[in-house]
Amino acid sequence: MEDKLVEFANLLRQNGVRVSLAETLDAVAAAEVSGLGDRDSFRSALRATMIKRASELPVFEQLFDVYFSGLGEIIKGASKEVQDALSMSDQEFQQFLDDVDQLLKEHADELSELAKQLLRNENGQLEKMMREAARAVRMQGIQRTIEENYFARALARALGLDKIEQEIKELREQLEKLDLGSAFRAKMEEYLDRRLKMLEDIIRKYVRQEREKRDLKSREEARMNQLADKSFYYLSEEEMAKMREAITRLAQRLKNIIAVRRKRMKKGRFDIKRTLRKNIAYGGVPFKLKFDQRKKEKPQILVMCDVSDSVRNASRFMLQFVYSLQDLYSRVRSFVFVADIGEVTENFRTNDIKDALDVALKGDIINVYAHSDFGRSFRNFVSDHIGAVNKRTTVIILGDARNNYNLPHDWCLREIRQRARRIIWLNPESRNTWGFGDSEMERYQVHCDLVEECRNLNQLYRVIDQLVPR
Amino acid sequence: MFSSIDDVIERFAENSYIASRRIATVIYLASSLQKPILVEGPAGVGKTDLAKVLAASLGEEMIRLQCYEGLDEGKALYEWEYAKQLLYTQILKDKIGEVLTGTKGLAQAVDRIASEDEVFFSERFVLPRPLMKAITSEKQVVLLIDEIDKADAEFEAFLLELLSDFQVTVPEIGTFKAKQIPLVILTSNNAREMSDALKRRCLHLYIDFPTREQELAIIRLKAPEAAEKLADEVVSVVQSLRKLDLKKTPGISETLDWVKALTLLNVQSLDNALVDETLDTIVKYEGDVRKAQEELKEYLRKVRTRRGGADAAGSGSGGGTDKDLLN
Repeated sequence: MEDKLVEFANLLRQNGVRVSLAETLDAVAAAEVSGLGDRDSFRSALRATMIKRASELPVFEQLFDVYFSGLGEIIKGASKEVQDALSMSDQEFQQFLDDVDQLLKEHADELSELAKQLLRNENGQLEKMMREAARAVRMQGIQRTIEENYFARALARALGLDKIEQEIKELREQLEKLDLGSAFRAKMEEYLDRRLKMLEDIIRKYVRQEREKRDLKSREEARMNQLADKSFYYLSEEEMAKMREAITRLAQRLKNIIAVRRKRMKKGRFDIKRTLRKNIAYGGVPFKLKFDQRKKEKPQILVMCDVSDSVRNASRFMLQFVYSLQDLYSRVRSFVFVADIGEVTENFRTNDIKDALDVALKGDIINVYAHSDFGRSFRNFVSDHIGAVNKRTTVIILGDARNNYNLPHDWCLREIRQRARRIIWLNPESRNTWGFGDSEMERYQVHCDLVEECRNLNQLYRVIDQLVPR
Repeated sequence: MFSSIDDVIERFAENSYIASRRIATVIYLASSLQKPILVEGPAGVGKTDLAKVLAASLGEEMIRLQCYEGLDEGKALYEWEYAKQLLYTQILKDKIGEVLTGTKGLAQAVDRIASEDEVFFSERFVLPRPLMKAITSEKQVVLLIDEIDKADAEFEAFLLELLSDFQVTVPEIGTFKAKQIPLVILTSNNAREMSDALKRRCLHLYIDFPTREQELAIIRLKAPEAAEKLADEVVSVVQSLRKLDLKKTPGISETLDWVKALTLLNVQSLDNALVDETLDTIVKYEGDVRKAQEELKEYLRKVRTRRGGADAAGSGSGGGTDKDLLN
C-alpha cells in the first residue's frame, strides 16, 4: 500500500500539486485508520492529507479516479462487453461460467495461470497479474502518445500473450474432440474468441490510461493556450477565480510591506510637544506621557494598461488583471492608454467584466486604433493626473514599451517615480526582445523598481513572489 | 473519541448537524491521528458550527479564539499579570526587607533578590489566554481558532509550534506540554492563502455549498416548522442564486434565516408579495438584491407555466389560493 501511495504522491507532483514527504506519511497513516474497505472514506482520507488548496481538488479527483480504479474499471467493462456480445443475462452468464469452469477442470488442467483466470472471469486476479507485468516493463515511465504502441507490445510480451493464443487454439482443438451440445460448442467458441480479443483490448486501454495519467498537465496546458487566443467573452469562471486569487496575493504582499513598517514603529517615539500641552492642566508636571501615534497606511495602487494593437494577445490578460484588482480593492485607480491616456476607474467599478472591457476597448475613452505612443501618454498623465500619485502609491504599468520611434519622454516616468512609492512594470514581451527595434524598455527600465516579463498567470505568480517587503 | 466514521455521522446527527461522509472521515481521522483540521470554504456553510458540534458530541468544552488583524500572543497565549505582581510585591514588602537583612552593599542585595525572583515569574502570575487554556486543561478540549486568515502572517507562524508539538514556550518559565492533546479546528474564509508550513501540519477540509438534497435535509432538521413545499421552493431559488455572480453568495445560514422569516410571516409559497421584502435576509448588497429579484421572478414564471399545465389537468393546487388572496 505504501508503494502505491508514494507513487500516487509522485503522480500528483507531476501534475503540479505540491505534496511534501510529511504529507505522504500522513496519508499512509490516514489510510491505515480509515481502512481500505470503503472507497469514499479512503478518498476523503487522501484528500484531507494530501490536498491543501481548494483549487487543486479537481486535479485530485480526476487522478484518484484514474489511479485507484483505472484498471479494475477497464477489466470490468471489458468482461461486461463479452457478456453482452454473447447476449446472456447475468444469471445465464454465471451459469455459463460455471460450466466453463467445470470443463476446464476436467480437460485442460495444464493451462497457464493467466489463461485460467481469463477464462474463469477472475477479474481481481487478472488485474493483479496485469499490474505485475506493468511493473516489470516499467510502465510508469510512459509519457508520450507515440510510446503507447511500444508499451502495449512490451506488456503483451510480459503477460505471454502469444502463448495464450497458442493455448486457446489448442483448447479449441481439444473441444472439438469432445462430445458437447452444438449450442454450447458454438457459444464456447465464440467465448474463447471474445476473451482473447478482450485481453488485447484491456492491454491497449490500460496503456493509454497510464499515459493519460501522466499527461494531464500537458492537456491542461494545451487548454490554457487555446483559451489565451480566445476573446474576452470566453473567460472561464475558473480563470477568473485564479486571477482573483493571484491579485489577493499581490495585495497581501503590498500590505505586508506596510505591516512590517508599522511593526517597527509600533511603540512610537516620545512626543514632547503633545506631552507638554497635555500636562499644562497638571501644572506642568508630566502625569500623562504622549507618544507618536501609529499611522494607518493602506496601499494605493494605480495601474496604467497599454491597450494598443501590439499587445492584443496579452491585453485580455492585462485588463483582466486590472479589473480584478479594482474589483477586490477600493483604492485602485485604473488608466488605459495607446497614444493618449484615459481613466477607466469608474467604468470598471460599475460594470461587470464583459461590459467594462467592451467600453474600455470601444474607443470612447481614448482612440484605441492609434499607434502607441508611450511618451505622449506619460506626458499627458503627468500634466493631467499626476495628483493621483502620492508617496503611498504603487504604480503598475502594463505594456510592451513599443513606442513606434516616438519621443520616449522618460523624464515623465522619473517624475512619477519621485512622487510614487514604487513603479512596477510588467511587460508581456519576452525579455530577450527588450530594447530591440522600437522597444524603449531599457530607457524606461532605469526608473522602475521592478521590471518583469509577465503575460500569463504563472508569470504573474512569479512576479508576486519576487515582491519582497522593503 | 469516536469509534468509527459512522459513529461520527451518528453523533453529529444527534446534535443536529448533517455531516457528509467526507466531513465525517476527516473528523474521524483528526481525532485518531491527533492532527488539527484546517476548514476552508465560503462563508455560511457551517465551518464554525462544525467545531461547536464536535465539542458537543464529544461532551467536551470548546475554547474559541477569534482571530483579527493585530492579534498577538499576549491576547492569544498568555500575559503576565503585572498588577498582581505589583500588588504582591507591595504586600510582601516587609518580607522582602527580611530577606535582605544582613546583606552588605547593593550588589549583594540584588544577588539575594535574584535568587528568589522565580517566585514572581511563576505560573501563579501568568494570565492564560485561550491557547494556553487549551494546552493546560486537565480534560481534552476542542480548540477553535476561528478565521485564521484574518490574523497576520506572523501569528500564523507563531501557531506552528502549538499545532505540530502541542506545546507552547514561555521564556521565563519553560515549555508547557499539553496534558491532553486538544482537538484543534482552524477555519478560514480564504481572505488570504495560508502558508504551506501551516497547511502541512493540518488535515485539510473544504466544505462547499450543499447539494439540493443536503440543503433540504438541513432545513428539515433546523427549521422543522417550515412547510415542506416552501422549503423545497426556497432551496431551488437559493441554489440557482448561487450560480449567479453575486458579491456575497448566500450560505446555509442565510437559507435558514429566510425559511424561518417566511414561516414566521406565515408565507406558504414563494408566490407572495412578502417574499420580495424578505429577500434581504439572503442577499446583503443592493446590487445582489436586484439580481435576486430577477432570479425569483424567473423562477416563479417557470413554476407558473408548469403549474398552469397541471391546473388544466384538473388539480387545484394550494398555491393558487395565495394568488387569489393577493389579487
